[in-house]
Amino acid sequence: MTHRADTPATVEALDRPDKVAATLARLRRMASWHIIAPPLVFFAILLVVGIANPAYLGPFGISIATTSAAPILLVALGQSMVLNTGSIDLSNAAIGLFGAILFALTIPEAGILAMIAVLVALTLIGAVNGVILAYTQVPSFALTLGTLGILQTAALVTSGSETIYVSENRDLVTALHTIKTLSVPLTFWIGVLAAIFFWALLRFTIVGQNMTAVGKNESGAILSAVPNRRAKIIAFAISGFASGLAGLAIVAQAGSASASGLGSNLLLPGIAAALVGGTSISGGQANPINVVFGALTVAFVPIAAQALGFGAQAQSLVYGVFIIVIVALTTSRSRGSVIK
Amino acid sequence: MTSVMHEDGPRGAAGMKRNGNASMRRLIAEGAKGPIGLVAALVVLIVVFSFLNPRFASIENLQNVLFQVSVPLILVVGATLVIQMGSIDLSVEGIMGAAGMAWILLSPNTRTMIDLGMWAWLIALGLGLSLGLMTGVIYAKLKVPSFVVSLGTWYVGLGIAILLYGNNSLPSLTSDALARWPTGLTLGLPHSFWLAAGVLLFGLLISNYTNLGRGLMAIGNNEPIARTSGMPVNVYKIGAFAIAGLLGGLAGILATMQLGSGSTDIGFGQLFVGIPAAVIGGTALGGGEGGMTRSALGVFLLIILNNGLVLAGVDPDYQSGVFGLILLIAIIAVAWPERGRLKVAK
Repeated sequence: MTHRADTPATVEALDRPDKVAATLARLRRMASWHIIAPPLVFFAILLVVGIANPAYLGPFGISIATTSAAPILLVALGQSMVLNTGSIDLSNAAIGLFGAILFALTIPEAGILAMIAVLVALTLIGAVNGVILAYTQVPSFALTLGTLGILQTAALVTSGSETIYVSENRDLVTALHTIKTLSVPLTFWIGVLAAIFFWALLRFTIVGQNMTAVGKNESGAILSAVPNRRAKIIAFAISGFASGLAGLAIVAQAGSASASGLGSNLLLPGIAAALVGGTSISGGQANPINVVFGALTVAFVPIAAQALGFGAQAQSLVYGVFIIVIVALTTSRSRGSVIK
Repeated sequence: MTSVMHEDGPRGAAGMKRNGNASMRRLIAEGAKGPIGLVAALVVLIVVFSFLNPRFASIENLQNVLFQVSVPLILVVGATLVIQMGSIDLSVEGIMGAAGMAWILLSPNTRTMIDLGMWAWLIALGLGLSLGLMTGVIYAKLKVPSFVVSLGTWYVGLGIAILLYGNNSLPSLTSDALARWPTGLTLGLPHSFWLAAGVLLFGLLISNYTNLGRGLMAIGNNEPIARTSGMPVNVYKIGAFAIAGLLGGLAGILATMQLGSGSTDIGFGQLFVGIPAAVIGGTALGGGEGGMTRSALGVFLLIILNNGLVLAGVDPDYQSGVFGLILLIAIIAVAWPERGRLKVAK
């Protein structure tokens, strides 16, 4: 459906030199709807809000939107890498929250070293998910639902069901939130950097291409000797790592962490952001850079609802309708006819 | 979400030709990952918990378990229909909130002076049905993945509940007859459970004896073939979500009645009972497998586990962890014999 324009264009291309045709084809591919839709949707919402309430277009609005988008973006980036391989990671937000608690517990004593150690540990937790998935071949939905439960308990037990405040070295983490470039906090810029990095990984490296291949057609990938297990494990490890960064963003913003506090509700917004960012839920299609716009849109919808005068009580309703409409607009229907 | 390369196609055909012994062995093998394994696990749990705390096996506690089982049991019937066709329905918590809130505001309560009696039930169930229909139509006609549509419906339902709740005081049931109904006993079993058992029977009939039920299984197995065989695939898809929505509404009403007052979060946590229960029962998330009885056993397993852990004095903090661990063990045990280099599992 996305390539509806193909037929007339191909006829046209026949009587032109090959090079022009190739360039045109590439342009058309770049401009295909599911690639341009995510930024388009975001800017459209921005425009509507801007007309209704210009204050939201200034530094104030940018700062609010990007601050609340940062953890969503980081979780969504990991999720889109996993979705790209055709699996789903329901445990990533719980990894992030568990990570936030570990950060809050260890940073006062060990500073930067603690940050690195916790990030490594969380990446390993993600990789464990991947190993179990790859070698036992259980459905990722059920597997990560199980690890989600275990991580929730881990978060409750390590924090003793209390809020852990970062007592020492507080500036070290909160700087990530307070330092702002162009009114955008550092945490969001980390997300943008990660997005560019993941995009390059998928676009230019063999590892990344293998992940996409597994997502597009796993049987085909296996028969072509693509190391499908390794691809899945790496995707889940990336998800663990990105969730760890999200945990860091949570601690940076709140200066504390708890099992029921800030960041305990990231799973669904994260998935929504990945999907609004044009990631296909059936695998084989992900564009991390568009996920940035997906996260911005998801974080911006409540703000937009408020700016447009919907009451606080209507937020949930508006949010639900928005998600359906946006994904109906941006979803790619080109991959086969079966939609689950 | 999943496409499984079925290895048992040729094996199944060969099994027909072979006699007694082999097919008997196959039956046992299939039983082990289905009801027999589940029933064995249930028996083990019951025995262990009875030793840990004698109160577990008391009549009161068993009635209590049946009381707790009712709401997830109603939900799992809808969830199983949807999962059997390879889709997923995340909207139950929202639909429960909307229907429960609508029902209590139209029944004798402390806030509104309205009592529509039977109409309250019809309106609340209709709300659930229409939310389910909406999910089904958007999914089948607009081809938006069910995961996303039902995620949206979740928020829409929750939003409706919040709007209905408004800023006013908490609505509580004033009718004693209604408030006592769920815990009342008939033949020693709570009314809630009778209702749930009726729904389960309804689910069994639909799933085994109607075109819709068989069609959903066919869609889950291979949608293109179901479509080319002339099945009204879209009608079946919409039907499954409509039933799931209707049952979500019923579960919302029952849960509200059990609680005795309206809450927007009435369905909180139900999604993560229903789906694991169906999966533990062997309903593959990829579709085309599983059944009502197994899903129901899955619900019993999870609720008894929960109840037993509380009575055994396990810290509530550990409960989700134990839940998760059991889920992991169950799915790995089911998937282990079917591993293969070429198997595709998502």
